Amino acid sequence: MENIASFDLGRMRLSGNQAIARGVLEAGVRVTTGYPGAPISDVQGSFEQLAGNIPKTNPFTIRVGEMLDQTGYQLAAHWGTTTNEDNAAALALGAVICKADFKKREFLTEEEWDLVYGDTVFAKDKEKRIPVGSRVMCSFKHLGANTAADALRVAVNVVPYTGGLGIASGDDRQGTSSQTMQDNKVLFGFHFRIPTLELHSPSTAHTTVKNCYRLFEELGVPFAVIMNYDLSYREVSVDPVVDLDMEVNHRRKGFTRDPKHLVTIGPHIRPRERKFHSKLMPLFKQKIIENFEFLGNRVTEYGTEPKAMLVVNGPFREDFRLVDDDPALKDRLLKKYGDVVVIESNLVFPQPGALYENLVSKHPIEKIYVFEEGYGRVIYLQLLDLVNRRNLEVKILDLGIPYEPRIYERFSYIDHILNV
Amino acid sequence: MSSKQNPAPKHKAADEITYLRPVSNCSGCGDTKVSWSVREGMRRFNRQLKLKGKDRYELIYAADRGCGNLQGYHAYGIVDAIFCMGSGAIVGDGIKESCSEKQIVVTASGDGAYNFNISGIKFAAKNKKFGAINVIYNNYNIRMTGGQIPLEVDFDKEGSAFGFEMIHINPYRVNDNAELFKELYGRYLNKEKIMVVADGVCVLDMGKDAKNSGIRMGHFIRSDECLDLKFAKERERVAREEPEKLKDLPKFKCRLCGIGLRCHALLDNDPGKCFGCGACIQFPCPVGALSFEGPSFSTSISMTELKKT
Ligand code: SF4
Ligand code: SF4
Ligand code: SF4
Repeated sequence: MENIASFDLGRMRLSGNQAIARGVLEAGVRVTTGYPGAPISDVQGSFEQLAGNIPKTNPFTIRVGEMLDQTGYQLAAHWGTTTNEDNAAALALGAVICKADFKKREFLTEEEWDLVYGDTVFAKDKEKRIPVGSRVMCSFKHLGANTAADALRVAVNVVPYTGGLGIASGDDRQGTSSQTMQDNKVLFGFHFRIPTLELHSPSTAHTTVKNCYRLFEELGVPFAVIMNYDLSYREVSVDPVVDLDMEVNHRRKGFTRDPKHLVTIGPHIRPRERKFHSKLMPLFKQKIIENFEFLGNRVTEYGTEPKAMLVVNGPFREDFRLVDDDPALKDRLLKKYGDVVVIESNLVFPQPGALYENLVSKHPIEKIYVFEEGYGRVIYLQLLDLVNRRNLEVKILDLGIPYEPRIYERFSYIDHILNV
Repeated sequence: MSSKQNPAPKHKAADEITYLRPVSNCSGCGDTKVSWSVREGMRRFNRQLKLKGKDRYELIYAADRGCGNLQGYHAYGIVDAIFCMGSGAIVGDGIKESCSEKQIVVTASGDGAYNFNISGIKFAAKNKKFGAINVIYNNYNIRMTGGQIPLEVDFDKEGSAFGFEMIHINPYRVNDNAELFKELYGRYLNKEKIMVVADGVCVLDMGKDAKNSGIRMGHFIRSDECLDLKFAKERERVAREEPEKLKDLPKFKCRLCGIGLRCHALLDNDPGKCFGCGACIQFPCPVGALSFEGPSFSTSISMTELKKT
């Protein structure tokens, strides 16, 4: 039975970082770890305040803190004490692998459950329920993923026990307050190969984070959310009604033995690695398509005979919503691209190939324009691969930018889309 | 002549051989002996508290990369979680956040892993929420992969500085160590921080030292009272006299020592494979059939001391 504690916090300003923290709490997360560093410190910093490790210093933590006290919300926070991101991620791994409670299936069919859980110690569960435990969040800045790579890569070999783990990465792609620039979509997508989303707005990030926990926990796989520098710090005025999932937060604690999964040595991991890429990845793609809107994505058709498709991600997506409010921008859009299908997408990896194929077969689309930020061109490369593999009669054009070119003054992503 | 099994691929040169290296610990490996004591200690802890069934405390053993890792391969159920190099202690503290209050987490690292991620172990020492029992398999080196020169560690100074109480053990005195761990579990629940340094776990390496020092290590002896030896005779009789019944007989009767100590010498009943570690001396064989003859590392891991015996 659902046990949601709702609180109206009243009007306040929330940053992207705080929106993530909000989503994490709404998802009932019990253990949070991380390592500080701009631009994402405020995510774990909020949890530190809420767990009582340091004083509460802002309206968000003060008001949410009262809520947590009233409900008896359990929250553990380990931040600077973890000493580095690798330890933060390893601590998170330890906390997430403990499964001693169950929840009903929400997204998986019986056969799909067999695929994900059929070789675990839970395989004999008659109702094919989802083994669950503490939900866990681990956050760090972009460079932290290099340090944490050892622990994050192994997370894939431990599926489905790492379901319930969310990673938040604060990308300082333009090096505003970092000594190195980096596009973490490359690491999370192509190297760690875990479902990865780029958030775009402080108004919606909490819902996306919460829904990622719901879906990917059941699929038994960790997920990553990435924010660019601008979003981490950008504040918007909101009227948050916070819904804490107390049932999740109060799940039974306990470790269940399954050394074939949890002891990562060659003979154990080889079949898992194979299964992850050949069987589970197609399942993840399928589930992402089935839950495309649930994960905060949207397909909009402008006109009836679209020959172009736009994929807008991250900050491009955030600016694109202006088109809905401003008829002049919509005119410019149609003038530039003609009738057009626009995919407003959080998804970085994996790309839902079948969805694109379907749209391409339905419409006379000739060109797909990809707008993403980051030198890694992770979305573009996946679509290019799709087109080659499936022999689609469509051209993929890379129109993204490697990083926000201006510092201290917001770049107009919508102008880029309409003028490029 | 080509063999039916493992036919050589055509492109392979005739003299090219691939050696299949089975994953397992050496017979007398100290890592496995410590693990026996860790588990046996838990059994005794529950017995002392008169806890039965679901009320019993349970052990969770989070280990690290290296030879301690190999124990996770065997179907002996010793190691519960192993992830990345140096992560044993910090993964253990993550488990403590989400496991039940009836589960006690012991973490173990080799001395190489200790140096690799000293900060993870320091975290376990400083984390006020939980107790910690962190075992170090100290073989003075990262030897199994080629005799590297290690970064020297003064465990007593470093561990104490972190806030651990330091205890050194001889890994082969399995009964003494089981008694020690029994006591430590109570102290863990009191949130105490203990680092147990098992000195000289690499029997392979010490065996070489002993040989170079002219010491002939001893070996185990099994008396005729051994349940497996007796049962083997019974199986022979059945095979001879009632062969149709053979398939219904189990293969072994006991195997407690071999499985408990993860020792091939005991499993194969072959004193030739015995490394002379001496764990058999303190192993509680249910019928007292196990003994040992000659010098063993359970007396001392120092070659000078061993020479005197
Ligand atoms: S003393 Fe016992 S445990 Fe040690 S190597 Fe010999 S047979 Fe094995
Ligand atoms: S090489 Fe040494 S530490 Fe490794 S399994 Fe053998 S005895 Fe144990
Ligand atoms: S424990 Fe004793 S009885 Fe059992 S196999 Fe070993 S020596 Fe034989």
